[in-house]
Amino acid sequence: MSAPTRVLGQPRAGSSSRALLVAAPIAALLAVVPLVVPPYGAILLAYGLVMAIGALGFNLLLGYTGLLSFGHSAYFGVGAYSVALMVKYLRVGSMELFLLGAIVGSVIVTAVFGIVCVRYTRIFFGILTLALSQVLWSLAFKFFWVTGGTDGLRVPTPSLFGGLVTGAGDKTVFMSHAYYYYVLILFGACVALMWVIVNSPFGMALQAIRDNETRAEFVGVRIWRYRWVAFLVSGVFTGLAGALWVPLNGLTTPDIMHWTFSGELVFMTVLGGFRSFAGPVVGAIVFNYLKTYAVGYTVYWQLVLGVVLVTLVLSLPTGIVGSAEKLLARFQRSRP
Amino acid sequence: MAADVNRRDFLSGLGVTVGAALSATAGAALPVVGVAQAQEKPKGNIPDKPFKIGHMTFFTGPAAVLGEPMYKGQLLASEEINAAGGLLGKRKVEVLKADEAAGTDANVKELRRLKLSENIDFFCGITSSGNTPALGPVAEELKVLTMFVDGCTDFLFDKAVPNPHYIFRLTNIQSADGCTTALAIAQTWPKSKRIAHIHPDYSYGRNAFDHLKIVMTKLMPQAEVVSEGWPKLGTTDFSSHITKAIASKPDLIVSSVWGGDYVALYKQALRYGMFQKAKFATTLAMGTAPHAIGKDHPEGVIAGVHSNYHFTYPSGDKWPLNKSFVEKYHARFNEYPNFQAEGAYTATYMLKAAIEKANKLAGGWPDDEMIIAMLEGAMIAGPAGYVYIRPDNHQGYKEAIIGFSKHVPEYPFPILDPNRIITIPIRNITAPPGWPKGEPTSTYTWIDKTWPVVKA
Repeated sequence: MSAPTRVLGQPRAGSSSRALLVAAPIAALLAVVPLVVPPYGAILLAYGLVMAIGALGFNLLLGYTGLLSFGHSAYFGVGAYSVALMVKYLRVGSMELFLLGAIVGSVIVTAVFGIVCVRYTRIFFGILTLALSQVLWSLAFKFFWVTGGTDGLRVPTPSLFGGLVTGAGDKTVFMSHAYYYYVLILFGACVALMWVIVNSPFGMALQAIRDNETRAEFVGVRIWRYRWVAFLVSGVFTGLAGALWVPLNGLTTPDIMHWTFSGELVFMTVLGGFRSFAGPVVGAIVFNYLKTYAVGYTVYWQLVLGVVLVTLVLSLPTGIVGSAEKLLARFQRSRP
Repeated sequence: MAADVNRRDFLSGLGVTVGAALSATAGAALPVVGVAQAQEKPKGNIPDKPFKIGHMTFFTGPAAVLGEPMYKGQLLASEEINAAGGLLGKRKVEVLKADEAAGTDANVKELRRLKLSENIDFFCGITSSGNTPALGPVAEELKVLTMFVDGCTDFLFDKAVPNPHYIFRLTNIQSADGCTTALAIAQTWPKSKRIAHIHPDYSYGRNAFDHLKIVMTKLMPQAEVVSEGWPKLGTTDFSSHITKAIASKPDLIVSSVWGGDYVALYKQALRYGMFQKAKFATTLAMGTAPHAIGKDHPEGVIAGVHSNYHFTYPSGDKWPLNKSFVEKYHARFNEYPNFQAEGAYTATYMLKAAIEKANKLAGGWPDDEMIIAMLEGAMIAGPAGYVYIRPDNHQGYKEAIIGFSKHVPEYPFPILDPNRIITIPIRNITAPPGWPKGEPTSTYTWIDKTWPVVKA
């Protein structure tokens, strides 16, 4: 089989060496952040990186498999609540165990939800994912004797690297240094893993399904199973993001299970551009700054976010990354 | 427990009084709200750097009619302080505002931003009881001096932050709210048998329900709960909850729905004739900004003010601090204050008093530890009366009040009937210091274990 024909403006397999060339300086830049910016800057960026992991997972479905999930808040929430429930019932305090718990929890939930959802596509898929996530939300909301209801569940500062680093002492310092690097390492690992996934034969198959379901089926791709695995991987990435987010926030509340948070994940991905690998990452980080500062500087923050979304859809349908690529291409073409 | 106590004796033993005047004596050096004409000169060198207050409350959404006046209260106090030269005559107060409606997670982030990026000196505000348990621990870890005005859930100091250092809270603790309304019911309509409840489906609603129920179990043993409705916070359609309550044929309907939600509830209830079919009692009906409640609101309803304050009480010249506060507030904002406005106003002066006292003792600008030491056990006379900060749990206590809605020609909205104000000494409806933490709250277990079941 010849190399898959590239559909213009769609995520595609890229060359790994070129990707490394782009990724290395960015990684270096991210690594020096806590040393040069004030603690608040590093904490805020850690939030952005965590959301980026979630959006990256989300985009495996939207950008690569062509399925718009409106229920990813559920998996983010499962990750977060797995951690919180481990603290509450098992008195665990190790971040590694938290991550393990979150992965196990989100595998179970996405596996089950996936079986129901991936039988459908388009709006039916979107509505199903939304409905299922709202079920989880109402459980978190109503079963307050387990979940704390709207008060949520508190998660104390975890210990990192099997207890080598603990949060004793100033929490701001811990969050802006040790925890920032912890998030950064996992972020790097997730990006690399996702890169491998989308460039693997499995990733190619997903893109084939997205572009033409019937043809993909004819060449022997088992669509249902591939979609289900993509759903699972996507959910687990988002669950992992949820687990990493809890210590930053200090507690988990049903808000993050609500469909409006799923909407934020969609927003982030559209903002960055769902048609490129880096789009959701850039989108998540930018959205994090956008919302934080909009809330901080005006009581009309909802209006600000709304205007940005409308402008985005109307004028930059390919998102920040897509538009930047286009600009770059035009610039390169204009040079002899 | 001796069971041969009758209700009337027990209520008067609790000090539940109707139309009482304030009962306490003012000490010579008791701080009061407002700026004195001749201020003492501060000791030592005071920097002239602005004193930054981060203020977070609801500026958008249905909760804003209850929460936003809080900002105005703080603004008014800050402007008064600034007009007199600032804190210790030097530091002007600057209030930065943040919208609580952004959601708990965004609020946590915003508090971090205010402290770490804006370098606020003091954090104040918060309306929702869902938010203080989230923000309290963050304020502790950021080491930011904090006074929550409301967000008064017992859970905050019972469990979320059992040993507070940097955080305080000014308005009455939440359990007092349910207890106050229940006591008002026991005194006014003691024979009620069938009780229907409509409460918002989150911690405040459940807290109100728990305390209403436990007090009624003790004082109205014949009463039974015939219906429960749990509308989601922020709901605009209450018809199913109203019809469900009416269908259960209650003598009395009790609700802790608040803010814009309450306005929607009573207007819809009017359409269903709910107020003709049963008596009605609330914990927070008159807690919203007074003008938000219309002339169509029924009279004679037990109208709660979060057990804290209504601008008409203490009335006239009985308590000049209230009269002058209401006048100044009205002149500044062209509306009347609610309990949140009073809370934030008093909180600002409580801080000012603590700073001045610390300066008098040590000179210069006091550090946070000094201010905290001065706030612990502090008492101030505010528009609502005396507020005392208990040192063990950093919680503010003042006399609880509640009343009955009434229309008068002077105001275009209902007020509390001036002849039927009910006041209750706060120590009689809250768990004492040292009482073990309980489930669901310390006050709940305290009432359960120490109050008798009365004879009718």
